[in-house]
Amino acid sequence: MNLAFLAVRNIKRSFSKYMMYFFTLSFSVFTVHSFLALVFNEQVMEKLTYSRRYQSMLVAFGVVIFVFVSFFLISSNVNFIKARKKEIAMYSLFGMTNAKIGRLLFTETLIIGTAALVAGICSGVFCSKLTAMILLNFTLAYFVGDIPFVVAPQAVWFTAVPFAFVFMLMGTAGRRVIAKFELVELFKGSKLPEANIRGSALHLIVSFALIGTGYYWAAIKEPAKLLLLAVPILLVVIAGTFLLFWGGLPQVFRWLRKNPHRYFSGENMIALSIFTHRIRSIGSVMAAIAVMSAVGVTAIATGYTLYGSMEVSTYDQLSYDLFFYGGRDVRDEVHDVFTKYGVGILGEYTVNRYQVKAVQIDPQQTVERVFRIYSESDYNRLIEVSRKIYQPIEVKPGQGLQAGRDIAAYAEIDEPYNDGRQSKLVLSDLELAVVTRADMANVHFGAYQMLVVSDEDFDHLVQTGTFASVDAFGEPLDEVTVIKYENPLRAHQLNSELNQILDARSSGYVMAYNYYVEAMEVFGLVCFIGSFMSVVFILMTASLLYFKQITAAEEERHLYQILRRIGLDPKAESRVIAKRLLPVFFAPLLVGIVHGIFAMKSADTMVFRHMLDVDNTFMVVMRFSAVMYSIYALVYSAFYLITKRQYTSTVR
Amino acid sequence: MELLQVRNISKVYRTSRSAAEFRALNNISFSVREGEFVGVMGASGSGKTTLLNIIGGIDKPTTGKCVIAGQDITVLDKSRLAQFRIKNIGFIFQDFNLLETMTLKENILLPLALNGYSAAEMERRLNQLSADLGIGRVLAKYPYEVSGGEQQRAAACRALITNPKIILADEPTGNLDSNSGKALLDLLSMINKKYSAAILMVTHDVFAASYCHRIMFIRDGEIYNELYAGESRKHFFDAIIDVVGVLGGEAYEPGFPGCAKH
Ligand SMILES: Nc1ncnc2c1ncn2[C@@H]1O[C@H](COP(=O)(O)OP(=O)(O)OP(=O)(O)O)[C@@H](O)[C@H]1O
Ligand SMILES: [Mg+2]
Repeated sequence: MNLAFLAVRNIKRSFSKYMMYFFTLSFSVFTVHSFLALVFNEQVMEKLTYSRRYQSMLVAFGVVIFVFVSFFLISSNVNFIKARKKEIAMYSLFGMTNAKIGRLLFTETLIIGTAALVAGICSGVFCSKLTAMILLNFTLAYFVGDIPFVVAPQAVWFTAVPFAFVFMLMGTAGRRVIAKFELVELFKGSKLPEANIRGSALHLIVSFALIGTGYYWAAIKEPAKLLLLAVPILLVVIAGTFLLFWGGLPQVFRWLRKNPHRYFSGENMIALSIFTHRIRSIGSVMAAIAVMSAVGVTAIATGYTLYGSMEVSTYDQLSYDLFFYGGRDVRDEVHDVFTKYGVGILGEYTVNRYQVKAVQIDPQQTVERVFRIYSESDYNRLIEVSRKIYQPIEVKPGQGLQAGRDIAAYAEIDEPYNDGRQSKLVLSDLELAVVTRADMANVHFGAYQMLVVSDEDFDHLVQTGTFASVDAFGEPLDEVTVIKYENPLRAHQLNSELNQILDARSSGYVMAYNYYVEAMEVFGLVCFIGSFMSVVFILMTASLLYFKQITAAEEERHLYQILRRIGLDPKAESRVIAKRLLPVFFAPLLVGIVHGIFAMKSADTMVFRHMLDVDNTFMVVMRFSAVMYSIYALVYSAFYLITKRQYTSTVR
Repeated sequence: MELLQVRNISKVYRTSRSAAEFRALNNISFSVREGEFVGVMGASGSGKTTLLNIIGGIDKPTTGKCVIAGQDITVLDKSRLAQFRIKNIGFIFQDFNLLETMTLKENILLPLALNGYSAAEMERRLNQLSADLGIGRVLAKYPYEVSGGEQQRAAACRALITNPKIILADEPTGNLDSNSGKALLDLLSMINKKYSAAILMVTHDVFAASYCHRIMFIRDGEIYNELYAGESRKHFFDAIIDVVGVLGGEAYEPGFPGCAKH
């Protein structure tokens, strides 16, 4: 009887156990291959404008995913071997040396690994078109095209070779695991290997205190303080969660066991006592899942919320659909493009980019500054065309409304006009009292400081020829035109033609569309990778729990034998099994959700409150995370059912 | 009155590969009265455990009937059987079969808890029994924290807590040293008298067998012989040894005073 024969026979005999193992391996292969297929897909890279940057980002994530997947695979493998302890002891008893058993395990892993590699890569290739389409739809503002089905040989190679290596590693790891088995211990058999953990009230109190502190900090309303506390929050919540699962939960169980009325329902008693016994080996995994799911879900919900509100944030950054510098000829060409595509212009204004040197006299200092200067009515006409809504302003003769990137900080929001700055501006023969305002539009158009004066003063300055006609670099100062038009973020052809013309003809221009497209690419990619990672994470953790429970089932089998002897009927038995397994899958999820709610609260304080134009931003974010957690719950439920079936068939 | 009636029970094991079948029990019939203490002896592989498992409803006979307290247990479905077992039958096993995830107290109360008894009622029964069995001190401990004798007494306590009509014990002293073994046998006798529970005990140990009112010897799946205890315990003991010698079973192990060698 050679090893290959034995290996094949083993696989045939306990097919369902190997099925799950096979599924896990091939899913890992599938994941990594799908990712690499994206990285190596020519079409995808062509479509993403800044391909280099994105490619390296994707490769980095690919490596992260691969490391994560390998770690998970190796630990699944160890659990799988442990679940077969009895069988391995049998071989040992029949005189097989450890080296030979090791070779047997190696052969098995190789057979399953090869099959998984083929299955994973084939399904990966099969789905590669779909994943590429999803990615492009996520990241491109405008993508309705079709990408052809291609096989990227590099992706196949870069998947196959490292995985072959990892599988080899797993195959040899079996040897190390069995070397640790004691034959005697194996045949003592029906005793659970771990001692009962009793936990302590102190554990529970400290863990609650830690988590509570974290929550309290997370609910702080000032973004600046919250930012400082971000790392401490993470640390205390993580520490608290682990402590909760290590010592706190066992203590809760102990109290439950002391409360006879609830506990003594027999089934509760059995399930709780077995689960308590298990918590040492599975507590860390559960705590890690709770923490990581909260972090992951928060990050993804944040990404999606931002992604979904990209239009709002685009106009937060830029006020105009389009502005460009240039004279009448450029304007004419631009107008022609609008006519050509039949896109209506909703508002337009052209103004001279006048610049003036003035001496600013403060109580503390006297400096010479260069200002972009507008008349009151020019400024008010400019802001009419803006997508963002600004209040029109009024400037009296003898006043100068100063707005600069440094001035905004001084200005009081409650007090729109501030006359108390005791600052004067002297330009040619005019002396202006400086006033400031917080809510000024950003219409500096290239200058650092902006000045708005009354129409009379402005006319006077034009007549006296105070304005410079060239900028600091000697370039002639021309006019700037702002345009507001229909569907600015969707008119793709119009925008690309405008880009062409303005690139060639204008000395400077900004188009909201360009900003929007780039932001979509970055956020879309981040969201896509985030979702990808979280799907991987959900599936991997769920199947890790599965393998741990299958190992446990093997060790707990004798308990059910005893129970059946003292009269546990089959229906009660399946209820006991349900109660035994439910907390394994759903306790981490529950803790994760509670963590997530508070994490979301912080994200809301730090990010969304400023970026979103909705009343109750917290609810918006919560909706996104609710979807995420539903997916989590769904996958975990599926795995719970699979695990329950396998567990039941093992202990029967 | 007859508590247990075994009628023409056979058990045939058939391994799936070869068509060869093996008769572990062959048309066995006997009965046990209420409050009777019956021993079952026989060589290894003679079918004792198989018989006990069938009576206890853990295993099904191939043919035949097994009636306990007027109920034929071979016709019950699995969950009804489980119910019946919990109410009427107590099990004591050679390797104790305590759940190591539970304290002794929890182990003992388990059959009641599974049957939905109130906490007060459980406490009441436990207090009485644990005092009788002398394990009151160690109730809060886990099985691995107490001695084998204490574990077996806890297992006996678990078997008794539902006030079963019959207790099935499969080599209960097999894993105990002679002192603990004797203590357990005294205990079983006491239970037998005080709670008037019938006991069916499988044993290889002649000394243990001498505690019984009656001994059935099984050979090759059939009842080979029966012995009744008379006035003298010593006499009974000698008679058992004679039969065991003929059957070729294992020798007695713990020395009975004055009867060290056969
Ligand atoms: N599940 C089974 N399948 C096939 N044969 C079995 C099975 N269980 C028991 N047997 C056979 O039935 C016979 C009786 O077994 P049983 O366990 O009742 O013996 P026993 O009298 O209890 O022996 P011992 O004193 O060694 O415990 C044995 O020969 C055994 O090989
Ligand atoms: Mg036996």
